[in-house]
Amino acid sequence: MRIVVVTSGKGGVGKTTTSAAFATGLALRGYKTAVIDFDVGLRNLDLIMGCERRVVYDFVNVIQGDAKLHQALIKDKRVESLYILPASQTKDKEALTEAGVEAVMHELQQMGFDFVVCDSPAGIEYGALMAMMFADEAIVVTNPEVSSVRDSDRILGLLQSKTRRAIEGREPIKEHLLITRYNPKRVEEGEMLSYKDILELLRVPLIGVIPESEGVLHASNQGEPVILIKEDKAAQAYDDVVGRFLGENRPLRFTTYEKPGLLKRLLGGG
Amino acid sequence: MPEPIVRFTPTNLAGFVVTLAATSPARLADELHKVFAGANRYFAGEVAVLDFSEVPEWPTQVDWAGIAALMRRIGLQPVGVRSVPESFHTALARTNLALLDAIPAERTASPMPQATRAVTPEWNGPLAATPEGAKAGPSESPTSATRIIDRPVRSGQQIHHPDGDVILMNGVNPGGEVIAGGHIICWGPLAGRAIAGAYGLESARIFAQRFQPELVAIAGIFKTFEQGVPSAFSGKPVQVRLEPQSEKTEMRLQFEIIEP
Repeated sequence: MRIVVVTSGKGGVGKTTTSAAFATGLALRGYKTAVIDFDVGLRNLDLIMGCERRVVYDFVNVIQGDAKLHQALIKDKRVESLYILPASQTKDKEALTEAGVEAVMHELQQMGFDFVVCDSPAGIEYGALMAMMFADEAIVVTNPEVSSVRDSDRILGLLQSKTRRAIEGREPIKEHLLITRYNPKRVEEGEMLSYKDILELLRVPLIGVIPESEGVLHASNQGEPVILIKEDKAAQAYDDVVGRFLGENRPLRFTTYEKPGLLKRLLGGG
Repeated sequence: MPEPIVRFTPTNLAGFVVTLAATSPARLADELHKVFAGANRYFAGEVAVLDFSEVPEWPTQVDWAGIAALMRRIGLQPVGVRSVPESFHTALARTNLALLDAIPAERTASPMPQATRAVTPEWNGPLAATPEGAKAGPSESPTSATRIIDRPVRSGQQIHHPDGDVILMNGVNPGGEVIAGGHIICWGPLAGRAIAGAYGLESARIFAQRFQPELVAIAGIFKTFEQGVPSAFSGKPVQVRLEPQSEKTEMRLQFEIIEP
């Protein structure tokens, strides 16, 4: 079983969108996958996954023994072998104990899960630290924007010091950089950092670039992970990410801007 | 025979004697700011004995709590004082600072070059307690133990290596900080803070493959780059060292491009 944390430091960059799409992508390929919302007090993953009306028990209920894990796990209706564990809406951040999280991870392994995707909250406080604590791999979600890059750098530092792998001196967490909300036109015009600039600053292998896309908003409004909206370019980019994660060689897409020809511009295109 | 419940073992506890030539916390804070270039925690919780033998003139009152708080702010734990006139002993009794004049002076390791500043740390022997200290080996001289960092130093991280030189193999990101007793050699971009010769070694230097720091300091002399790094040096291989000046003027940092 591999535990993958989706984290960023900065808020609002696309962690939950990514967790939903990534977990769905893995399950579509036949892997038994659980996606867990590690936020404490704010619950988002269930909305993005479209199962908010089926939440009976949450992560903290399981940790505190009020419910069994199999009772709290919500089986996705669209995709076989995909399960969601929603966040608690308690304000008590201490409720997510390290021992409790560890016990849930053990149980997920015993239940035969292949992948556990941990959707981290923003920041570097307790919820974010718990989400990364047991991770084997990390997807660091970054927007092409200076404060997001700085926060991702900070998170990368924490991944190498505040996790079980680091504390126990085991092989370090495998880091992947995921750039989201990429707009090649603005990069071309010098308004936005390019993915190469970000790679140079963070020096972590790139797992993918997700273009800015309206599909993401539609998807979350419908409670459907964007990867299921196959025509959308963000969906295709997420599919590439899952492929690369599993070892496939896929060239980067949606990163170049081609200025439309004169005729097209005159006729109102581009 | 059962184990005794109290045992006494001599120890060479990691610590510093801080010689203070002034008693005003405000003045001392200013001086410390100059020496440590605004770093939040410079020391790692070592004990400190405050030595006041060089105070030229004593005021009627001293803010002992203020001085102790200042030491804690830079990461030291003040445990006692030396060479304080008897008139202050009652005030001192209230602060939990012990009077340590009766303890014989410690033996120091090879002397550090004297810097003309109010605060001069002295070595109290190698940091024998920590495993890291043991790995680094015995420190005969300040620059005998070199630490090599393979990963990037990321925003919010601090590398603190009082025992010698630091070699960075993957740069220092903005918001990252490296503090070394000796030289700092940085492969990759130096985009954070580099503080070399942190304990007074004026011959320490900083070498950077791509020079774009937020701050550099050698033996307490520091420079920030609020207007950005001058284009002649920005992103280039640069060496920083202290420029020897005549007796009358202050030391200055000197920057040179490293020619291949």
